[in-house]
Amino acid sequence: MNLLTSSMLTAMFILLLPIITSNTQLYKSNLYPHYVKTTISYAFTISMIPVMMFISSGQEMTISNWCWLSIQTLKLSLSFKLDYFSIIFIPVALFVTWSIMEFSMWYMHTDPYINQFFKYLLMFLITMMILVTANNLFQLFIGWEGVGIMSFLLIGWWYGRADANTAALQAILYNRIGDVGFIMAMAWFLTNLNAWNLQQIFITQHESLNMPLLGLLLAATGKSAQFGLHPWLPSAMEGPTPVSALLHSSTMVVAGVFLLIRFHPLMEQNKAMQTLTLCLGAITTLFTAICALTQNDIKKIVAFSTSSQLGLMIVTIGINQPYLAFLHICTHAFFKAMLFMCSGSIIHSLNDEQDIRKMGGLYKPMPFTTTSLIIGSLALTGMPFLTGFYSKDLIIETANTSYTNAWALLVTLIATSLTAAYSTRIMFFALLGQPRFNSLSPINENNPHLINSIKRLLIGSIFAGYLISHNIPPTTIPQMTMPCHLKLTALAMTIMGFILALELNLVAKNLKFKYPSNLFKFSNLLGYFPIVIHRLPSMMSLTMSQKSASMLLDMIWLENVLPKSISHFQMKMSTAVSNQKGLVKLYFLSFMITLTLSLLLLSFHE
Amino acid sequence: MSMVYVNIFLAFIVSLMGLLMYRSHLMSSLLCLEGMMLSLFIMMTMAVLNNHFTLASMTPIILLVFAACEAALGLSLLVMVSNTYGTDYVQNLNLLQC
Repeated sequence: MNLLTSSMLTAMFILLLPIITSNTQLYKSNLYPHYVKTTISYAFTISMIPVMMFISSGQEMTISNWCWLSIQTLKLSLSFKLDYFSIIFIPVALFVTWSIMEFSMWYMHTDPYINQFFKYLLMFLITMMILVTANNLFQLFIGWEGVGIMSFLLIGWWYGRADANTAALQAILYNRIGDVGFIMAMAWFLTNLNAWNLQQIFITQHESLNMPLLGLLLAATGKSAQFGLHPWLPSAMEGPTPVSALLHSSTMVVAGVFLLIRFHPLMEQNKAMQTLTLCLGAITTLFTAICALTQNDIKKIVAFSTSSQLGLMIVTIGINQPYLAFLHICTHAFFKAMLFMCSGSIIHSLNDEQDIRKMGGLYKPMPFTTTSLIIGSLALTGMPFLTGFYSKDLIIETANTSYTNAWALLVTLIATSLTAAYSTRIMFFALLGQPRFNSLSPINENNPHLINSIKRLLIGSIFAGYLISHNIPPTTIPQMTMPCHLKLTALAMTIMGFILALELNLVAKNLKFKYPSNLFKFSNLLGYFPIVIHRLPSMMSLTMSQKSASMLLDMIWLENVLPKSISHFQMKMSTAVSNQKGLVKLYFLSFMITLTLSLLLLSFHE
Repeated sequence: MSMVYVNIFLAFIVSLMGLLMYRSHLMSSLLCLEGMMLSLFIMMTMAVLNNHFTLASMTPIILLVFAACEAALGLSLLVMVSNTYGTDYVQNLNLLQC
């Protein structure tokens, strides 16, 4: 029993060591990245011990160490909840991070601040661990904000570039809107249930939990880039590729989904919230899949793919299957991180070219990257018996056989076929055909750091689904019997997507480019959402405040209403009613003529 | 009537013509106003003295007082106009023209 506690806390503490030693001489040497990478690999190995214990005996644990503060009747202590979700997520996250660290030793090799980069990545990982193992909402919020801050610092890594700064700011702002929901949920729990720790929240009975669940849903919308708060995720591709691989595919963006999964006992009873979650996830997955179809930047396509898969996870929560959503989180981390790393390899080899219209014909020069890109895409689309199959196919099957919203189901199926479509697009444009890049590009994938890291994730992408799903304790029973056509739906949609996309790409390869249709423009400009939402509300609020402060108060009430209006009115009225024109001499002349005339008339009258 | 009254009456008429028919300066109309007041004063004094109308002996004095007030008023108006425009040309009085 003690082994679980001590090994998990040792693994956590090992992660802190490079941060603590960052003031010493080690930080300034060029061995620091290697040190961080080996630290994470050791932490991964040690954290496998709790996983083995959990698999063999199902042991969960809650560690509550240190009483932090007591505010009247609320006691906050440092407590770690090591249950099914955190024990399985931590090794997965550490494995993926280990590979990404090794990859970024190759990718960021020429960066002068590479030590700081590794420190930031490590700090991000630590805050993600805090988020995942938190037992009370306060600690979770610490981790939540921590990942947001590290995301800001890492997206704006190349801060000399204006686009990177706006993207980092966008990430912070959109996450902040979601945090409002989180704080609302915290406040509700504090005032109504007097607790911030999960055990008490799940036990206490309350008649209507709509308000905090809405808050948590808003928090998940912000952090996991659901529709409405989604534009920050494609903009976050301004950061370096390791950042995109770690934060915006495997770890940070699943924090929102993880939050909803943590609160699944509350969501089980609330049908309204489940419907809302389902519809939100369905909209997200379809919209981002549509947007991914016509993007030209390879990282943006993968970012939209992430967003679409996140929508799928939210859909899974909406059909009351939190364990399947968690399984999808774990399997998705492998192949998505690998997809990002492959695109990083392609980008660096083509001398920082990110536009897929200027790639092509990399099939022969970069065989290893090609292999892993194809296997990653196949795993993403749910090819049978690769990693993605074990979670994605189960999700689609459960959605098909559950009593759910038919529109959401249809939309999810369409998004599944679109997933295959844009994956085909990536593979077709980047790998196949004749080369469209400059001829003197230094195409080289010989570095062992690159090869080993992608190789590890490749093995994970192929086998991890099988290994995880066959070793976890039984959770909600998946649907075992269903009609044949429902069972084959996911596969049929995927194959249809592949074939359609391949045919369209091959047919359109030599056609003349017409002017873009309206649908193309809608898809390419992200549904006009960022264009409208970034400008319209801010312009409206600024003009409203300007009008009310300056026009209304100053110019109308203080200036125009009484003083100027009175003078203006008087002048208008006087010119209207007066018929005097100031022609003094004429008036006098007429006076005199009248006098003489009257004198003459009266004197010569009989 | 006797020739004296006709003479004074003619002086009044001439001053009235001068008041009503001035060319450019406002001062000339004020001067003619003074001329009118002067001729009225003389006429009144002559009438009172010739008819031994003793009870009305103070009317010339009262007329003189009122003439002085009126001259002061006229001069103040002239000063106002002259302050605004620098001269007292009558074509400056055109503010009400639209």
